[in-house]
Amino acid sequence: MKYMLLLYDNPDTREAFFGPESEALMGEVEAVLEELRQSGELLSTAPLADPVNTKTVRARDGVPVITDGPLAETKEHFGGYLMVDCETIDRAVEIAARWPSSRFAPLEVRPLMDVGGSEE
Amino acid sequence: MSSITVDHSRPSAPSERDIEQLLRPLAPQVLGVLVRRYSRFDLCEDAVQEALLAAALQWPGEGVPGNPRGWLIAVASRRLIDDIRAEHARRRREDADAAAAMDGALAPAASDEPPTDYDDTLTLLFLCCHPALTAASQIALTLRAVGGLTTAQIASAFLVPEATMAQRISRAKQTIKASGIGFQMPPEDGREQRLAVVLHVLYLIFNEGYTASSGPEVQRTALAGEAIRITRMLHRLLPSDGEVTGLLSLMLLTHARRRARSSADGSLIPLADQDRRLWDRGAIDEGVGLIEYALANARLGQYQLQAAIAALHAEALSTEDTDWRQISALYELLERITSNPVITLNRAVAVAMVNGAQAGLEVLGQVERDGRLEASHRVDAVRGHLLDLAGDRDGAVAAYERAARRTMSLAEQRYLQSRAVAARTDSAGV
Repeated sequence: MKYMLLLYDNPDTREAFFGPESEALMGEVEAVLEELRQSGELLSTAPLADPVNTKTVRARDGVPVITDGPLAETKEHFGGYLMVDCETIDRAVEIAARWPSSRFAPLEVRPLMDVGGSEE
Repeated sequence: MSSITVDHSRPSAPSERDIEQLLRPLAPQVLGVLVRRYSRFDLCEDAVQEALLAAALQWPGEGVPGNPRGWLIAVASRRLIDDIRAEHARRRREDADAAAAMDGALAPAASDEPPTDYDDTLTLLFLCCHPALTAASQIALTLRAVGGLTTAQIASAFLVPEATMAQRISRAKQTIKASGIGFQMPPEDGREQRLAVVLHVLYLIFNEGYTASSGPEVQRTALAGEAIRITRMLHRLLPSDGEVTGLLSLMLLTHARRRARSSADGSLIPLADQDRRLWDRGAIDEGVGLIEYALANARLGQYQLQAAIAALHAEALSTEDTDWRQISALYELLERITSNPVITLNRAVAVAMVNGAQAGLEVLGQVERDGRLEASHRVDAVRGHLLDLAGDRDGAVAAYERAARRTMSLAEQRYLQSRAVAARTDSAGV
């Protein structure tokens, strides 16, 4: 089963990850990633640029309307993701709990939809 | 007299598909020969993959050699020896004291020549489905070593990056190497449990392919056919095993419905609404023949019971014509040997067909009390169906909608949502 781990950022995560603990935290990140690569569970991962770089796009009467900045100004925003393929959701939750940013901001674990299905 | 003979038998330019079909059944045979000769399953498996790749590249242009199997064994052996030399050179560089000699590394394994290729294929299946491996690794290794698929093909079938699939395969091989699992048949007394794991792996591969939607997921759909091919091979090796026969029959009977199970836009069509003329009669006849033979001659097991149920569906002209009484009795037998709440859920549907929706809802109550399916959408999907039958449209709408939100399958979600809309329309029309 494939899961998307949505990583959220807030001022605390930024302070921690860019502060004096940065190296230790990135070491933890790399250790988790290496374990997931070794186990064949990691599908992909990427950080997202700061929300100030966001363009929000809507179509109004067939015309795209583009605004600068995120949909909503919130303290916590979507900051990156990990996509994993593991046996159970419990395992996905365990990975999320070990991701160091979980100490500062929450992660969401969301199963991916399967396109197919059974007719029975 | 003349040393020049014209080979009239050589077919003109074999297609890539012909070659793939020729190569795939040879893959486990060639691997079996190599592992018996040289041990080192991990290195042999890589060497066979390289030989298969070389054949796939060369044969379309140069023609198929007279003895394809011998060609593959020769090429794979050469690769293997090169790999072992490279490994030794590396080790010598890393540690001058490492004195493992080439001769030692290439000494014949304890059991030298295979009694038959068939036995090798069976031994390989047991090895790839070793209980020390995770399910994901068992599946990947079986498809590569026994099925002869490339890592790229397997990755694309499971919709994961090739690097991820390559890592699962190499990790599985490391586990086999590290735990000293040899290339031999499991001991007689544990063989039945080991065979159960093999069957489960094949069942998972089949299901992965069967539940895939056709269209954009062609590689994944092909897994169902591949699972049937390997199970058929296993059935030839163990023709008197009832569960192997049962699983092959179950796959054939299920696969027979593939053309009828979804509409052109990809939405699922339930059994009751399928155009049964689209069912593959050849596959049904074969599946029914297999299960009838197994039931009469072998010890009963879960795959045989599931196949027997599938056979009753396959032989019925319509839902009304289906022998629901016998299906419900077969589910009861299945529950006794597996204790799986999904079976009870299926029985609830069959019971409703025999004794009415209320009786089905009572069986559903057992599933709820059991609790194991609490987080699954299936309970609500069946409840929706049974409430719909009972005429409780509002209840049915609510249950279908809960199920639609819970499911992780897009196709099932569309179906459940459409049932909710239909039930609501009925309810408004009354």
